Amino acid sequence: MGRPVAVTGLGIFCAIGKDLPQFRTNLFKGTCGIAEVDLFDLAGYSCRLGAQIRDSGLRERLPSRQTKRISRCDLLGLIAAREALQNARIDMQKMDPSRMGVIMGGGAGGMLSWEKFRREIWQDQHRRYASRVLASAPCTLTDLIASHYGVTGPRSTITTACSSSANAIGYGFDLIRSGRLDCVIAGGSEALCELTFAGFHSLKVMSPEPCRPFDRNRKGLSLGEGAGIVVLEASENAVKRGASALAEITGYALNSDAYHMTSPDPEGMGMVRVMTAALKQSGTDPGLIDYINAHGTATKINDKMESQAIERVFGDEGLGRIRVSATKSMVGHCLGASGAIEAIATILAIDQQMLPPTVHLNEIDPECRLNHVTQTGIQKTIRAALSNSFAFGGNNTSLIFRSAGISDQV
Amino acid sequence: MSEISITGIGVISSLGIGRQAFWEGCCRAQSGVRPIRTFDTSSYRSNVAASVADFKPAEFMPPMVYRRMSAVSRMAVAASIEAVSDSGLDLKALDRQRVAIFMGTAYGSSSHVDQFYLSLLNEGPRGAQPLLFPETVPNAPASHIAMFHQIQGPNATFCQNDISAEVAMIYATSLLALDVVDVALVGGAEELSEILFACHDAVGGLNPIQAKVPEEVYPQPGGGIILGEGAAVLVMEKRTSAGQRGANVYGNLASDASTGDLAVMGHYAKSGDPVLKTCRQAMAQAGIKPDDIDHISASANYAKELDAMESEQLQRLFQDQRGALKVTPLKYLTGDFGAAGATRAAAVLLSLYHQISLPAVTLSALRSNQPDPLKWMPAQSQKLTNALMTSTTFGGGSASLIFTSAK
Repeated sequence: MGRPVAVTGLGIFCAIGKDLPQFRTNLFKGTCGIAEVDLFDLAGYSCRLGAQIRDSGLRERLPSRQTKRISRCDLLGLIAAREALQNARIDMQKMDPSRMGVIMGGGAGGMLSWEKFRREIWQDQHRRYASRVLASAPCTLTDLIASHYGVTGPRSTITTACSSSANAIGYGFDLIRSGRLDCVIAGGSEALCELTFAGFHSLKVMSPEPCRPFDRNRKGLSLGEGAGIVVLEASENAVKRGASALAEITGYALNSDAYHMTSPDPEGMGMVRVMTAALKQSGTDPGLIDYINAHGTATKINDKMESQAIERVFGDEGLGRIRVSATKSMVGHCLGASGAIEAIATILAIDQQMLPPTVHLNEIDPECRLNHVTQTGIQKTIRAALSNSFAFGGNNTSLIFRSAGISDQV
Repeated sequence: MSEISITGIGVISSLGIGRQAFWEGCCRAQSGVRPIRTFDTSSYRSNVAASVADFKPAEFMPPMVYRRMSAVSRMAVAASIEAVSDSGLDLKALDRQRVAIFMGTAYGSSSHVDQFYLSLLNEGPRGAQPLLFPETVPNAPASHIAMFHQIQGPNATFCQNDISAEVAMIYATSLLALDVVDVALVGGAEELSEILFACHDAVGGLNPIQAKVPEEVYPQPGGGIILGEGAAVLVMEKRTSAGQRGANVYGNLASDASTGDLAVMGHYAKSGDPVLKTCRQAMAQAGIKPDDIDHISASANYAKELDAMESEQLQRLFQDQRGALKVTPLKYLTGDFGAAGATRAAAVLLSLYHQISLPAVTLSALRSNQPDPLKWMPAQSQKLTNALMTSTTFGGGSASLIFTSAK
């Protein structure tokens, strides 16, 4: 098991919250951030919706020296990282930067910047802005956070599509529990861009209305954008510096369906295995899990498979007792950042002892017979919670968080 | 004592297809750098790259398997097939949920990203090609490897510019040490595409060589990077299990370290400290001193900024006043790419296994503006116990790995 690991700071910037307090309020209120996208030209698309961040002063949120030439994705990530470190009350002067790491999960990264560069070539424009290329690498945010805060320990960027940032949090957990590091800034960021919008549109999995996970009439996913960053610390160090733990991370697992690039294993066995492995590795009795933040994309196949997998892992008792919600119904599918954003929703649920809802879930699909939280948040004792992320390529990840100080007894 | 052994190697490279051809190319200090034939280079400042030639995926897998794969996925799967076969592992007899796949790539299939986006630009959203989209994610090669071998354990892809494969190896050691997995297929893959070339040209990073004849090109250090491509996969497993099954061991991974420092976007850490720090950390972990190192694999890639900095830091580490220390900058032969670390690791392991030192140059030769053409000291039989592989990337990250001989 190794050293206990606490979550001591959260930072978020997405369509329903430009900071943690705003996100928390809207998350439990059931506010939907999905609306018409105007970040790029949507002529010709049958779906025009997404959970876009609307902020005309986005670049003014950070000092201009930090925002020069960086992509929208990295900007969102830097804003969230700043909040996470402030939320954790980290004073870098008092930290050993060599015992700190930065592990990010990436999706399309600075693709929006690259698209502008590519369009310039396509239009045969003589003047091309090379800085747009520099901003496009998936690992730029990792390097920027490490550089801005003087973190000199290991840094990594994981790209497993929609489970990237969940894996980043898991790796951060490993680095601390094994004693290799004391503190890790982990998470991910994603900005809407034409490539992913057109890609999911071409696969015909986008909903013409705000997505409604687990609903009988669901029509697909809604894309989103945002950044979610967490500060993970060795619990003993957090106690020493007087920081409070919002929750503990007790384990995670990642695996592969080894089945298909875009479809989950039709038996949902990859999902079953990853949840089971995460419970085992974290030493958590399934009876302790009170809440599951589902991957819940609102595609026909994902929601059905995920429901069946949850049923197989937790059985009838768990099915009736464990409350489930899909926060993508509010923040959209933020791809590379979704694992971290949903981890933050899960941690807030534990911290506030309140369940976030799945909005637009009006008629529960009989094939998704879970104990759903609908419309608005509700107060509930949450001892431990699980957050699922399932990705393109069959990459599955489950994270397990626990209320700080909860014993292993069911 | 190292707990991790490398028991299988698969390589698709510009020096040759397959482990043996690659090793022979390494020993000859053969350059994989040649004029590009796959796209028109007339509008770019350079016309050379270390491209993979004569790779026939059908020699590794049925056409039905690879027909929709990008070039990077094909090379990755082919390298994994060779590595698994070489390891002698019977995957069917293993608990494949305890077998992991970790790959490094800086950009994944840049050609599929470009083709898909071009189909969108040319034909609008309804013309965008759905078959191309799944291959645009960088984790596609690792997913194809999982599908091909039916490996259901942990699977992740790392994108950390030039140290992507090294970072993947470090994660693998972590999960092997934590007993989450028993075996890991670890490596990297990268493809050369025109758009990748155009991007590097736009930022002024390419070595401005205009080669006229289709022969091997040997550039001068400091002129700018030469892009490469290829894939390499290593089979890493716990030393105990490798021993129990009597596996052929190429070498052991004694230690790994990674650090970072402040760097301006697109540049290397100015101080150069991470190179020194990671090397020292890795040596401390392995319990060895600079004098114990028999071979140094440098990450020099013809970029003035990196090569001079790395040369200076290695000079400090080994207290080599005259710059006479021998180092192997393999990227001078294979070009630079996100997965180059896996290729370099394969070369180091083969060198330890055969007890033949890789061709080398002097440390001082890494500095730019050398009056004479680069002189490679030939490969030769030598007792090799410990090898240091140091890697640095623009953006500020650095990694060091120490491999030891199993003999």
